[in-house]
Amino acid sequence: MIRLIFWDYVKCLDARLRRFSLGLAGVAVTAAIIGFLLRGAALTGDIAGMVDREMLGLLWGTSVGEAFTYRLAGIIVISIGLYLPVIGAWVSLAGGLIALWSFTQIGHIPDQEQTGIRLLLLLHLLGVSFWVGILAPLRWLARDPEYLAVAANFGDKFGVMASGIVAVLVLAGGLMAWLILGTLSLIFTTAYGLALVGKVTLVALLLGLAAANKLRFIPAMQAGNQKAAAHLARSIELEITVITAVLVATATLTSVLALPM
Amino acid sequence: MKIIITMIVSALLASGASAHSKVSTTTPSNHAELADVPAQIGFDFAKNIRLTKVKVTHDNDPAVPVDLVGQTDFERIFTLPLPDMGDGTYHIEWRGLGMDGHAMQGDFTFEVN
Repeated sequence: MIRLIFWDYVKCLDARLRRFSLGLAGVAVTAAIIGFLLRGAALTGDIAGMVDREMLGLLWGTSVGEAFTYRLAGIIVISIGLYLPVIGAWVSLAGGLIALWSFTQIGHIPDQEQTGIRLLLLLHLLGVSFWVGILAPLRWLARDPEYLAVAANFGDKFGVMASGIVAVLVLAGGLMAWLILGTLSLIFTTAYGLALVGKVTLVALLLGLAAANKLRFIPAMQAGNQKAAAHLARSIELEITVITAVLVATATLTSVLALPM
Repeated sequence: MKIIITMIVSALLASGASAHSKVSTTTPSNHAELADVPAQIGFDFAKNIRLTKVKVTHDNDPAVPVDLVGQTDFERIFTLPLPDMGDGTYHIEWRGLGMDGHAMQGDFTFEVN
């Protein structure tokens, strides 16, 4: 998505972006495999379940196996797209969509048995991916004095788009929470609800950082302030830490905690 | 790496990895007091599941796995043989897989005097 939409800004980072994306693809494959094996361990209650052929075979026949297949296929298509000329970015985008679709196969969303809510989740994940995807290249540019103007314009353009993306993220997330929980009273009385509150609090912190970037650092960078670029880079590093915490909270919500009845 | 994986597995297992479906009833029922050791234990789940592990702990004795040979289908009702370990408190722990791919777990206790 970043290569397609912001090519003018990130073309100077192309080789680095490809290497970085390939590295992330490797992390994603490893995480997908370990995640699948851990589900095997959950079925037996001990670490031996990670290599228990019967348990893994059982999982393979359920939506867990289906999600695992989508995820691996998506990551492979992303990786191939990174090295294809002309249509490579589109191929990678298709791979990304396949990998994101895998998340709609498991967790609490499929329990709702509605295609609409799966599409809503896909939209939510697309927005998140776009936001997360911008962080590394923007930080690289902000750290290089030679690209101060490019980083400022890149950040400004993203800031304009982010306003719409945040609205979609919040609306889609809120709607999914309401569809899953059904009532607000469960938010403060169940472990699931409290974890959701924790996630929303972290997202609010993230929005605060994003607002600081958009309203303070980017305009200062556009005025030629190199110090502001250093502030932006540090703010992005903090954003990455908070996003990691949000992802941990999301993983807990979708795989460890049961839905309140 | 092995330590990290062990820590992740321990965290996952200790956190009560996703009790997504509740067992409706057990035989004997939870906290029942019985005069004799039952030959069998039973589960009646809300939805079809595939039992993957059942173990029984008697008083402070180490856990013993319950024989699941022959349990190869997704079912709602299960009857399993219970090893006779004499009078005392029996604690049954179970794990299973829902048809939707969710891992499930639970336990119940009964006493034989």
